[in-house]
Amino acid sequence: MAKEMIAMLLAGGQGSRLYALTQKLAKPAVPFGGKYRIIDFPLSNCVNSGIDTVGILTQYQPLVLNEYIGNGQPWDLDRLHGGVHVLPPYQQASGSDWYKGTANAIYQNISFIERYNPQYVIILSGDQICKQDYSDFLRFHKEKGAEFSVAVMEVPWDEASRFGLMVADDNDKITEFQEKPKNPKSNLASMGIYIFNWDILKKYLIEDEADPESENDFGNNIIPNLLRDGRNMYAYHFDGYWKDVGTIPSLWEANMEVLDPEHSGINLFDENWKIYSRNSGMTGHKISEGAVVEDSMITDGCRVAGTVKHSILYAGVKVEPGAVIEDAVVMGGTVVKAGAQLKHCIVAENVVIGENAVVGAMPTEENKGVATIGSGVYVGEGAKIGPNAMVSENVKDGEEQW
Amino acid sequence: MVNSNANALGIIFPNSYDTLVPELVTERLMASIPFASRYRLIDFMLSSMVNCGIDNISILVRKNYHSLMDHLGAGREWDLVRKKGGLNIVPPFAEKDVKVYNGRVDALASILSFLREQKEKYVVLADTNLAVNFDFNALIAAHVESGADVTVAYKEEPIPEAPLKARKENNVNLYYTLDLEDGRVKKIRINSKKTGVQNVSMNIYVVDRERLIDMVGVAFSNGYPYFERDILVPQLDKLNVRGFRFDGYVAHIDSIKSYFDENMKMLDDANVDALFGANPVYTKIRDDNPTRYIPGAKVTNIMAADGCVIEGEVEDSILFRGVKIAKGAKVKNCVLMQGTVVEAGADMEYIITDKNVTITADKELKGSDSFPFYISKYKTV
Repeated sequence: MAKEMIAMLLAGGQGSRLYALTQKLAKPAVPFGGKYRIIDFPLSNCVNSGIDTVGILTQYQPLVLNEYIGNGQPWDLDRLHGGVHVLPPYQQASGSDWYKGTANAIYQNISFIERYNPQYVIILSGDQICKQDYSDFLRFHKEKGAEFSVAVMEVPWDEASRFGLMVADDNDKITEFQEKPKNPKSNLASMGIYIFNWDILKKYLIEDEADPESENDFGNNIIPNLLRDGRNMYAYHFDGYWKDVGTIPSLWEANMEVLDPEHSGINLFDENWKIYSRNSGMTGHKISEGAVVEDSMITDGCRVAGTVKHSILYAGVKVEPGAVIEDAVVMGGTVVKAGAQLKHCIVAENVVIGENAVVGAMPTEENKGVATIGSGVYVGEGAKIGPNAMVSENVKDGEEQW
Repeated sequence: MVNSNANALGIIFPNSYDTLVPELVTERLMASIPFASRYRLIDFMLSSMVNCGIDNISILVRKNYHSLMDHLGAGREWDLVRKKGGLNIVPPFAEKDVKVYNGRVDALASILSFLREQKEKYVVLADTNLAVNFDFNALIAAHVESGADVTVAYKEEPIPEAPLKARKENNVNLYYTLDLEDGRVKKIRINSKKTGVQNVSMNIYVVDRERLIDMVGVAFSNGYPYFERDILVPQLDKLNVRGFRFDGYVAHIDSIKSYFDENMKMLDDANVDALFGANPVYTKIRDDNPTRYIPGAKVTNIMAADGCVIEGEVEDSILFRGVKIAKGAKVKNCVLMQGTVVEAGADMEYIITDKNVTITADKELKGSDSFPFYISKYKTV
């Protein structure tokens, strides 16, 4: 049975700029927004858009991600025909290869795609926070008679040179592609989300693989080759919430934006576009007498006896009396002991912050650093962690790190 | 032990004690009463069984079971979608000459042929009016070791107030207390008036399957509906019935007042740890976002599930999933079930709201500690 469109989700990114958070897990598995992981967003978008077949291309530290995806049931992707499939690099008769680039990752899985005989393939990125209706994108692609479409966001002109830019005519037809140019001719940034006609994609993947000079990358190779051949390429304008959470500051910021859906545009309270995730299975959270909770999001299993302001607590976080948490992202299972302070920081899963320890500092003009504590770390009693620190080893009692 | 196969199958009676909580069961049954912010009562018994490797569980529903079917689905959240066994919801046969059953014997008689076909050596029986993390393996081990015909779990405690009171109003078999001698049950007292700490039966039994089939078959053909009164009591001299003392945490739901009190007990961390500490309790997943505390919210001493939006003041309360409390509203000593909306300026104390109740702006509602006020499903006040 043929599928109209299937999704291929690039989830191999190491996320090296998230350093302490991605020592033990791939970037798409990084927790986000209180009870989600980054990959919940593209997966939920797929399901909410009516796409029931998703291949997830993994490479770096896949263990947590594999376990998290499991059979895909939390996203309703446990299907008889289709569903979610994790696709790591594998050994073939001709030898085995790591995925050399984004295009090569899809190339190595051509046979997977062929099983579903789709008309269209949508290529998604596993490291963005975005609520998007891919069925609207496909409608656009079909209406334009496109062979390739890319989702684009308008960005401020003075930031445009940081992005891959699409230059398009009045009819949204792409005439030129500029990768991080000095002199941008457009402010339409590629979101790294593409729809291809499958026959076209397959042809160009095979051609690209045969080219020993190629980096096997969509942005650097496939898209320029399509342009060279004058293919029907269109830019689909997306104006919803979209954020690349590839850096510590952007990840922190995106989490904080969740606290303010009225202004940020990232509304997790949308009954018609739920974001699904694997559930922690913990009891309801508890806020004790004497605790202070202001402008925050708290989920199952948390126990708050201290002060929590403008922060997000993930499942099972414990905040002891006298601890103060402000402007912080505190991931699952972390314990913040009495008198400890977390300010303007990200603390990963299963961390213990010892009594009276101080992590991070409220931003000043000179220093807006987001202190980061990696998963499983013990921060000793009375330790001080400066706003620019990235901690992935245990910190002794009273020790200071800046 | 290989976890997947305890040598016992489970049977749950989800309608037992419905009559004690008439308000809460107008559109549901005991088993689907919401409890402790995100659970339904049946989650506790089901999870306890599943955590002990019992994965062939039949639920003998009697009436009002739509909400329970909706909650359980195929049983996936409890890991009960199994090729062998799994979850088995048994509705009463709707034939004109078959009456909806009254006692356990009637209910069990309706599944005798099913019971004959099963492979498990033992059967465990339980009601759903208790929220408990029960170790069925310990119960079964005690049963096997003692060579008893029937083993019944009991708790040493005073007889709960609600059934004691209800006893005076009708003479149904409400509760059983046990006289024990070296662990053997010498006497089963029905609706005893004795005060002080008793061996109060939890109505959790383990019986050899074939033995159970015989007992039920004989009793049913003689027209005896009740397992305790009609099977156990008359045969205590012949049957080796033994007691199994349970010392863990138990929440009894047997009146609207105890429903309120048992929920409120969840505000004490020690009670939550005692009830949930041993093994996970599974429930239906709703995919709610985390609960949001909007600037202006003031909360102290609460338990809340996901999906709530809190802008007002909440104190000493239990909030179920998706409760909304608007600015300026005051909620104190309340149990607000799933989807309750409290509009701006409303002021409530000692109130239980059922699912999807709306309290309109500036309403003032006061119950009392001894008489919490209950508002039924979908009502707008």
